Amino acid sequence: MTGKRLIVAAVLLALAQIGFLGWIIAGRAAILRDGKEVLLRVEPVDPRDLLRGDYINLGYEISSIPASLIAGVPAGQTTSSDSRLTVRLKRESDGYWRPAAAWLGEAPSPPQSGDEADIAGHISAGWNLTGDTVISADYGIERFYLPEGEGMAIQYDMRVRPFGIRAALARDGTAQIKALMDGDRTLFEEPLY
Amino acid sequence: MASYASKVRRDIMRWRHAGLVDAAPEAALLRDVEANERRALSFGSILAMMAALLLGAAILIFVAANWEAIPRLARVLLLFAVILAGYVGGALLKLRGQASAGEALWIVAAAAFGGAIALIGQMYHLAGDETSALLTWGAGTALAAAALRSNPLTVAAVGIADAWLILKVGNGFDVYRSFAFPHLFVVMAAVLYGISFWTRSMQGRNLIVLSLVLYALLLALDHDTLVTAIGLAVVSAAAFAAAVAAPEPVERLTGLGGRLPLHALIGFLAAIAVIQIERASGAGFGLASAVALAGIAAAIVLGGRESRGLRWLAYLGFAFELCIIYAVMMETMLGTAGFFLSAAIILGLLAFVIIRVEKRMAGPATQAEAAQ
Repeated sequence: MTGKRLIVAAVLLALAQIGFLGWIIAGRAAILRDGKEVLLRVEPVDPRDLLRGDYINLGYEISSIPASLIAGVPAGQTTSSDSRLTVRLKRESDGYWRPAAAWLGEAPSPPQSGDEADIAGHISAGWNLTGDTVISADYGIERFYLPEGEGMAIQYDMRVRPFGIRAALARDGTAQIKALMDGDRTLFEEPLY
Repeated sequence: MASYASKVRRDIMRWRHAGLVDAAPEAALLRDVEANERRALSFGSILAMMAALLLGAAILIFVAANWEAIPRLARVLLLFAVILAGYVGGALLKLRGQASAGEALWIVAAAAFGGAIALIGQMYHLAGDETSALLTWGAGTALAAAALRSNPLTVAAVGIADAWLILKVGNGFDVYRSFAFPHLFVVMAAVLYGISFWTRSMQGRNLIVLSLVLYALLLALDHDTLVTAIGLAVVSAAAFAAAVAAPEPVERLTGLGGRLPLHALIGFLAAIAVIQIERASGAGFGLASAVALAGIAAAIVLGGRESRGLRWLAYLGFAFELCIIYAVMMETMLGTAGFFLSAAIILGLLAFVIIRVEKRMAGPATQAEAAQ
């Protein structure tokens, strides 16, 4: 490889990698800036193992979805396959958003009022979709990174008081954590960058 | 490698004194030794690579600590600067003839790319598991290896792919997640193998072949243990046979520097060990043991003369076979004294075999020397 070409290759490579990283940052910042804001109720996942390293694992009310709420299941299908789950959230009187309907795959129609929003989730294979089972879904927001050493206190408080997550939802339903709420008080608010 | 070069130089001088070579070939040989010595991996380049790995680890840990003293945007920009400076600075150093320092800087840049992925995950609380981050990092590193034609970056990409495989299989033990065996690894290995020819990375190719053995072993542990292990043993034996029967075409095809028999023996011995452990209390153990011993003997007879490493791997396999056969067949029949007695017999038998084989391997060379 000649000298000039090696330098050009190195510059292009660096720009490609930096551009890729910048593109991810820009996408996430766009959701934070423009996304629809919802407040989700946090439920402790496993009291013994909330804190792992520098982040806490978060479970949500909306992590448990009654199978009876899921519409659009193909006839004859009794168990779930590894797929997308769209959940329509509705704001309730206490300010928290809770599931009103759900579909495997995309929602058939956009949300009607300002008190409704769609969140994109994922269910793994093998859940029973019939009867009154409750299935577990994840939304890519089950982790919250904390400054070192602050996890223990929050982990303790979470067991005695209601906590919440303010999240931003992109038009396609991608969720992005905006802030960690201790009741009405904002504990950590995320800047755009 | 300096010790080898000086030994050859001594030998050449001895041959000159004995009248075996003339002055002209002597000079040519010495020049050749000198030229190849400089190309070999030097102590300095190993130190440079270790320094690069330490610096890379420092970057990754720096990010993982989630240190709030520096605003995170500044941290991202810092990592971007390291990526740019690492790749471009490495290229400049390489053009000035400082190849090992240049390669070391490229490794630092690749580590900074991985660190930036982790940092972005932290900034936006991305809950996707670590395997997808590793996948992105590995793809970026493979791209860098291809763009810069770098051997160390190729090896790094293979290492990241291995980490991905191990983490993915490790996650499989988490009963709350659905688990599909990561067969994508075979595709990654094939792509990296292709890249390794472009980047002239023999080390990368050798690591890929060993990783494929690891993949087959993990697959055997995951499901269909017996079938997968027998498949690995058969493929390994076939690869060994091909490498011994037609060394040159196989070497042109695989480009492993003649180490295919060694890898094939590792795959064969590991597969047989899995079969033996699986069948420890059932039919087929005796057959598997007999196949193992026959395979080891065949490996020494067919490939042992060319490679001391292969011979010692065969001895290691033989020692393992003696132990596992003892453990399965005799354990129930003998007490502690019996164990020591058996250990003594096993060690004695092992020593006897090694001494006999080494003597026979050395035999023709000694005879040739005596004839002169």
